[in-house]
Amino acid sequence: MKPLRSYKIPFLLFTLLLVFCFLINISLGSVHIPFKQIITVLFNGETEKQAWDYIILNYRLPKAFTAILTGSGLAVSGLLMQTLFRNPLAGPFVLGISSGASLGVALLIMGASTLGITIFLSNISFAIAATAGSFLVLLAVISVSLKVRDTMAILIIGLMFGSITAAVVSVLSYFSSAEKLQQYIFWSFGSLGNLSWNELLLLFLLVCCGIAMSIFSLKSLNSLLLGENYARSLGTDIRKSRLIIICTTSILAGGITAFAGPIAFVGLAVPHLTRQVFNTTNHKILLPAVMLYGAVLMLICDTIAQWPASEFTLPINAITSIVGAPVVIWLLVRKRKMIF
Amino acid sequence: MTRTVLTIIISFLCLSACKQKKPKSPGKEGTETIIKYASGFRITHFDSYTKIEVSAPWPDAEEQFTYVLTGKGKTLPDGVAYDARIDVPVKNMVVTSTTHIPALEALGVEDRLTGFPDTKYISSEKTRKNVENGRIKDLGSNESINTEVLIDLQPDMVVGFALNGGNKAYDIIRKSGVPVVFNGDWVEESPLGKAEWIKFFAPFFNKEAKADSIFNHIETEYQNARKLAENITEKPTVLSGAMHKDVWILPGGKSWAAQFIRDAGGHYLWKDTDNTGSLFLNFESVLNKAQDADFWISPTLFKSYNELKTANPHYGEFRPFQTQNIYAYSKTTGPRGGMLYFELGPNRPDIILKDLIHIFHPEVLPEHKPFFFKPLDP
Repeated sequence: MKPLRSYKIPFLLFTLLLVFCFLINISLGSVHIPFKQIITVLFNGETEKQAWDYIILNYRLPKAFTAILTGSGLAVSGLLMQTLFRNPLAGPFVLGISSGASLGVALLIMGASTLGITIFLSNISFAIAATAGSFLVLLAVISVSLKVRDTMAILIIGLMFGSITAAVVSVLSYFSSAEKLQQYIFWSFGSLGNLSWNELLLLFLLVCCGIAMSIFSLKSLNSLLLGENYARSLGTDIRKSRLIIICTTSILAGGITAFAGPIAFVGLAVPHLTRQVFNTTNHKILLPAVMLYGAVLMLICDTIAQWPASEFTLPINAITSIVGAPVVIWLLVRKRKMIF
Repeated sequence: MTRTVLTIIISFLCLSACKQKKPKSPGKEGTETIIKYASGFRITHFDSYTKIEVSAPWPDAEEQFTYVLTGKGKTLPDGVAYDARIDVPVKNMVVTSTTHIPALEALGVEDRLTGFPDTKYISSEKTRKNVENGRIKDLGSNESINTEVLIDLQPDMVVGFALNGGNKAYDIIRKSGVPVVFNGDWVEESPLGKAEWIKFFAPFFNKEAKADSIFNHIETEYQNARKLAENITEKPTVLSGAMHKDVWILPGGKSWAAQFIRDAGGHYLWKDTDNTGSLFLNFESVLNKAQDADFWISPTLFKSYNELKTANPHYGEFRPFQTQNIYAYSKTTGPRGGMLYFELGPNRPDIILKDLIHIFHPEVLPEHKPFFFKPLDP
């Protein structure tokens, strides 16, 4: 194992890259706002146009922060799942968390209308529905994980829950009107630019909580890399650490899905990309590294999705998948040479 | 040897599967019904039959459909080709879109309707009654019509609408011997073009004269209102649509909705886009362009300022929100919550136009009572 000092340079570079991407992200968008004006607004000044102030302070800034939080949070939960299941293809949603959230939201949008109830949909109601849905699936997974000895079985059970919820969602879709379907589809595309400052604060607290819990699990994560039996011989309480890791992932992935929708691939691809750069499997290095990498990647994806200098915008999920899918393909092809 | 046999079998299969070429229609010239605005259908009357040709059953359709209407038991002249033959007058029918219903009601034949997919979406009171008393059977949903129930009804015809040629349910209905006739009213882009599809329904009930007089009245009302608005030089700026997450969906510059704004003497801020459907724009570009708009119409399903603000605080930044100049079609609904704007609107463009003129230029039609577009609740 290399001493921690030798990672200083890549960390410094990534931090600089993060700052750079952040600035690029808030200065590019559909509306052209000169960079000088952006700096003015950031330092409490006023631009020549009221709409610009509003766009920067209440749309682009929250969006950039959302990108940073979702990118880091999903990357961390992806890393935890890959380590827990010792499976390079695990991601934050293998436990059926996003399927649970989708079911909650589908019930809110389409179930309510089928039953003839009209609920008015605000951001918060989406978040509550998604949280409730993922929490239910999570409860099921946790109760199974307390009963099952084998970690792999949990993985399969998570996938099964995913299939069940997907089936219920498709039945709901079948019976729902075009507008409701459109609403649901738009939620499933994911969206970063839809959070108010208050919602952002809530998301920030959730992500911080998840990251604090993963710092707490660092030791058991490193011992899990060597296999469960070996971890036991090192004195790790497998069931307890498994429970903590599952809870951490749910807080991160569940909270992010609640506010930004099911964002694909970042959680799966970032840990691998990070291992390639940092060339280590030590979680003390990997954890901060995936956070930085995830945030940078999400900012870049969002900048592309905003399609600068045009009025149009692309769904964030399309972009993350365009980046993520080739990575996964490449992983499968080069599986033997993987640092894992 | 086997290859030769295979080739023969395959070519035989191909030949039998391929549609037979339609022979040319007989040389006798018929008289064509005058269609001024709609471009999706033609009607030609011959001595012993009427021919309806639908050229745009769905967007970019490559095939054209020919329907032949004759009296019961009459024989057609030799060589008349058709996709479906319907005996008229039709006594018992199924339609599939709520936009078909106002035309039937206007022609006074709503009692011939015996089945409809998803009856919960029907808003018109007359037809609603027939749903409640069981005269109209529910047939499931349009994309997967419950064929058994439909075949059991034995209708004289089904007026279908398909998003493309791939609606399997219609093939099964056709095979069971029930003629399917495609209606493309929704493909039409001009307000009067959509409304003119009432003429498409008329020959099935021998009500051509009635359909003409109804349409002429709508046309006259529309054109007169349009001329009134045309002479006004002050054109207020107009924003439309609303957000899904952070994507603003609004009508394209060449769409049906945008043409109403133009004809009502409004300056739609996206009138120069070439899109006939919807535009999906980023929030910041909409705010930049329309923050100071004079009016905001059709904020999708929202009914009140409070709902707007709850759904997204960004809405409060727009001037029409602050000056309470938002008007919506979402408050005019039927008993089951269906919006009349989508059911009756395409058939009555004159009312939509007068509503909008009344909003943009209150001094022009002071007597007009808005029907579709009403101010949002607080």
